[in-house]
Amino acid sequence: MSGIEYRDRLRRQMLPHILCPGCGHGIVLKALLRAARSLELDWDRTVFVAGIGCSSRLVGYIDGCTLHTTHGRALTFATGMKLARPELTVIVITGDGDGLAIGGNHLIHAARRDVDLTCLLLNNETYGMTGGQAAPTAEPGAISTTTPRGARERSFDACALAVAAGASFVARGATSLPLELDALIARGIAHRGFSFLEIASDCPEYFGRYNELGRGPEMLQLQRRRLDGVDRTLAAKRSLRPRPAEGPPPLRTGVLHERPA
Amino acid sequence: MGARSGSVLVVGVGGQGVVLSSAVAADAARRCGFDVKQSEVHGMSQRGGVVTSHLRYGDAVRSPLIAAGEADAIVALEWSEALRALPALRPGGTLIVSVERILPPSAFLDRLHGAVRYPPIAVGLLRGTVPDVRACDATAVAARAGDRRAMNTVLLGVLSRVTPFSEPAWDDAIAANVPPKALAANRAAFAAGRDLQPDDARPALARVEPSDEGGPARRSAASLEIVDAWCKGETCAICVRSCPEYCLGFDPDAIAVRVTRADACTACGLCELLCPDFAIVVHPAVPA
Repeated sequence: MSGIEYRDRLRRQMLPHILCPGCGHGIVLKALLRAARSLELDWDRTVFVAGIGCSSRLVGYIDGCTLHTTHGRALTFATGMKLARPELTVIVITGDGDGLAIGGNHLIHAARRDVDLTCLLLNNETYGMTGGQAAPTAEPGAISTTTPRGARERSFDACALAVAAGASFVARGATSLPLELDALIARGIAHRGFSFLEIASDCPEYFGRYNELGRGPEMLQLQRRRLDGVDRTLAAKRSLRPRPAEGPPPLRTGVLHERPA
Repeated sequence: MGARSGSVLVVGVGGQGVVLSSAVAADAARRCGFDVKQSEVHGMSQRGGVVTSHLRYGDAVRSPLIAAGEADAIVALEWSEALRALPALRPGGTLIVSVERILPPSAFLDRLHGAVRYPPIAVGLLRGTVPDVRACDATAVAARAGDRRAMNTVLLGVLSRVTPFSEPAWDDAIAANVPPKALAANRAAFAAGRDLQPDDARPALARVEPSDEGGPARRSAASLEIVDAWCKGETCAICVRSCPEYCLGFDPDAIAVRVTRADACTACGLCELLCPDFAIVVHPAVPA
């Protein structure tokens, strides 16, 4: 469909993947492979680096140069690789736990140095691989195994963090807008300097189940409502004060920040 | 229409300006010393509801609603809405209609090939039942006057010939109700509508509209390649629930998704884009 073939970039012998039914990460990988194909990247000079977590498993399904590294350190390995081999296109796939919790320090410094990397941070607001603990991106009130009565702490706005830390390209995409995601990833890869993309990708198995948000299709629909700010708008129209229970604040997708590196 | 009382029903499709034009007419009536009541329904006409505005004026109006068969005039901003509103018109009443065609989704018989069911725009046929039909292509008239969006005001111009409201009252009402930046275009549109001669208002309606003849034989727009071994089936169901044409479903004997309505597929590709398991590829059919 739409003429972009990506399946030859998959390690077919590894499929079906281990991700749960309805998990958004596969949609992101497809968008990444389609973006790479549309940019006609030199496949032998493109490296995909990942840390630990559900999102980081994605590199295992890419038939190309991939590196599965230690927890939180994907950007560190990637920075080293870019220093040693500046001609390579280095793309990092990380998650909210890997990139913002254990690897948060590496993220802000990679952004500060504005290294020419592309970092896709897949945000599902939970630690999926270890059983659904609260991630630093979990919205206040979110139920998880570590916050059974709802998260009390404030959450990170990953994009705002990346802008503040100095990234020269910051964008937000979402699995419910797959074509926009293609385009955003392609722009991020084409940008020279540190490109940071936060991608909303749902976890029906843990986050969705604990928070009673339904499974994959329902969560995609909720994501769209959130992107459009539908629930807030409705609440405002009913002249009720928006309460946390009415859902997290609207998400804005698209390129949020861009400057020459 | 009687000089001291009357009722006007304005109908159309959401966004055309039904409510605004009704408000202008009500304001004009008020400025001429009439007691006015207005009531409107914004009911998603494109989804089967109605978008109407009832307007009654007179020395003393007690109810805002026009009973069936009692409207002195109907102002219809769209053709099929005019036909739908006809039962409200009193015998001898005036139908003012724009030959506008806005297809509601329910009129599509087959989205793939574009077959639709929509009543033919035939003003001549209508004259058999409604002698006083004043039809025009209001959008074209409004475009010539400066802004096609003022098509509702063109119809108010036509209406002004059958209502007892004075021309200054109409002009003041327009000035008071339309946004300032659109005032010039609306004034021009009103004048153009008021000056439409019966012959202008009777456009050569040779426009024979597409009917429900069905179009070419149905054929699939795409073939779907589904990799059963990768599909996670009913526990995922993203493609099944996202397909706008309900083409996908489950086969009790198979774990994977199945195409259940191949002929309804439009090759939009949403299932492929949203499948997290790389299990669907949409191959658009080569046009015959």
